[in-house]
Amino acid sequence: MSLAVPAALLALWELCSRLAIISPRYFPAPTTVGWVLADRFIAGDLGAQSLITLTRLAFAFALAAVPGVLLGLLMGIARPVRDAVEPYIAFIFPVPKIALLPFLLIILGVGEPAFVLTGATSAFFQIVISTLGGVQTMDPRLLEVGRNYGAHGPRLFWKVILPAALPAIFTGLRLGLGLALVTLVAVEFIAAKSGLGHLVYRHWQMLSTPEMYAPHVFQGTSTDVTVPESSTARESTSGASPRCSNSWRNMRAGKTSATY
Amino acid sequence: MRALGRWLAEHWIAVGSPIVLLVVWERASATGLLREAFFPRPSTIVAHLRQLAADGTLWGHAAATLARIGWAFALAAVLGVGIGLAMGLWRRLREGLDPVFAVIYPIPSVLFLPLVSFLVPPGEIALVVTTAVTSFFLIAFTTTHGVRQIDRLVVEAAVHYGARGWRLFATVLLPGALPFIFTGLRLGLGFALIVVVAVEIVSASRGLGALLWLSWQILKVEDMYATFFVIALLGAALSYGLAALRARLLPWVQDVAERR
Repeated sequence: MSLAVPAALLALWELCSRLAIISPRYFPAPTTVGWVLADRFIAGDLGAQSLITLTRLAFAFALAAVPGVLLGLLMGIARPVRDAVEPYIAFIFPVPKIALLPFLLIILGVGEPAFVLTGATSAFFQIVISTLGGVQTMDPRLLEVGRNYGAHGPRLFWKVILPAALPAIFTGLRLGLGLALVTLVAVEFIAAKSGLGHLVYRHWQMLSTPEMYAPHVFQGTSTDVTVPESSTARESTSGASPRCSNSWRNMRAGKTSATY
Repeated sequence: MRALGRWLAEHWIAVGSPIVLLVVWERASATGLLREAFFPRPSTIVAHLRQLAADGTLWGHAAATLARIGWAFALAAVLGVGIGLAMGLWRRLREGLDPVFAVIYPIPSVLFLPLVSFLVPPGEIALVVTTAVTSFFLIAFTTTHGVRQIDRLVVEAAVHYGARGWRLFATVLLPGALPFIFTGLRLGLGFALIVVVAVEIVSASRGLGALLWLSWQILKVEDMYATFFVIALLGAALSYGLAALRARLLPWVQDVAERR
């Protein structure tokens, strides 16, 4: 059942495209796209371009994760740091990070550092906010118990605060990774001359549609691998409590079957 | 007055740090410590902002962006809540659509622009539809989850008391799912802003994203900063405004993924 609908859609598309009910110039048949995808992956540069995107993603994520978690923790435990930094975080967090691209382009010049940093900023703010939230929403009783048993300073941090914040930190990292990918692909689409985003742009401009769709297929099917547990949204909507996110996962796996 | 004083005493770092930053920035650019070509003085940026506002350029672009966000959000909200509710209520529909959505959702939204521009007339409609895509999935996912997480006991009790059909839906299922629907709408609106700026950068001549990109291409750095500031204000207004609106209109509704 779960495969029937996608299969039926693909078959319908194939049929319409082959019979030219929808223009095969703009909507090439899925088999054509599949063939091109396989061909470009083996003989062409699809593999190389994906590797470029993945490398950028890795750098962006590393640049965001380490300072993001550190700053988030620092803001969580040191009130003056939080007061000093929070206005900026609150101001920049809702801004689409792609809007930072032109600034990084003039400061760093057109090149990899600007592309990677744009991706990194979108992950960074998410990671800071999730980490800070993890520290702030921890059960105050845990802190009190820790203190009563004589934990202070570094000990309290390592034994109580950090473990309590860890689930939120991981949620932030996962969301950040997804956001970094979305931003990077947009950056590639707009400014870079390589990567999956650029591939789509180039083939769109040349109207070589089978090649244009190939990265879509690749992204759609591989993001589940690159971004653990897939989908930023599902996490951010259900990440509020582990129970919610678990029930969503169960639902995807078809384990719960209650019908209302 | 005294309340203000107490508030200042409490938050002096949060108020002071941006002021200090602006003053330092102003001095550093004026003395040449920062290159003024890249980091124009805040006072110059404000002057440019006022000029952009005075000659009407800014309002035209801002109106274009707001209209796109409005249409895209309306489209995504109506379709997303509708399909999300249907998917929550009917298992067969959910099992059929879930794999399709799972593949399409992770594709970064900018990549939909070429595809959408084949489907609908390129131009304004294509921009709006592309902006709506990711928001739609977010809203549909959260709405589905909202229906599915309702306590079965509540539903069974309602059924025992004779509620079924429309009544069951309107008095039990919809109110039960409302917090999740609201969260989905909020996240969807946030994503609409991100995507609209990206697609405006790629292929629009009007709109804040377009203005930002144009200012970078002709190296009007002050206008870049001014536009960025307006985009940031818009982001803050959308995300904090909606939260305030919810607190006002639906005080009993808890946002399930309130910023953490």
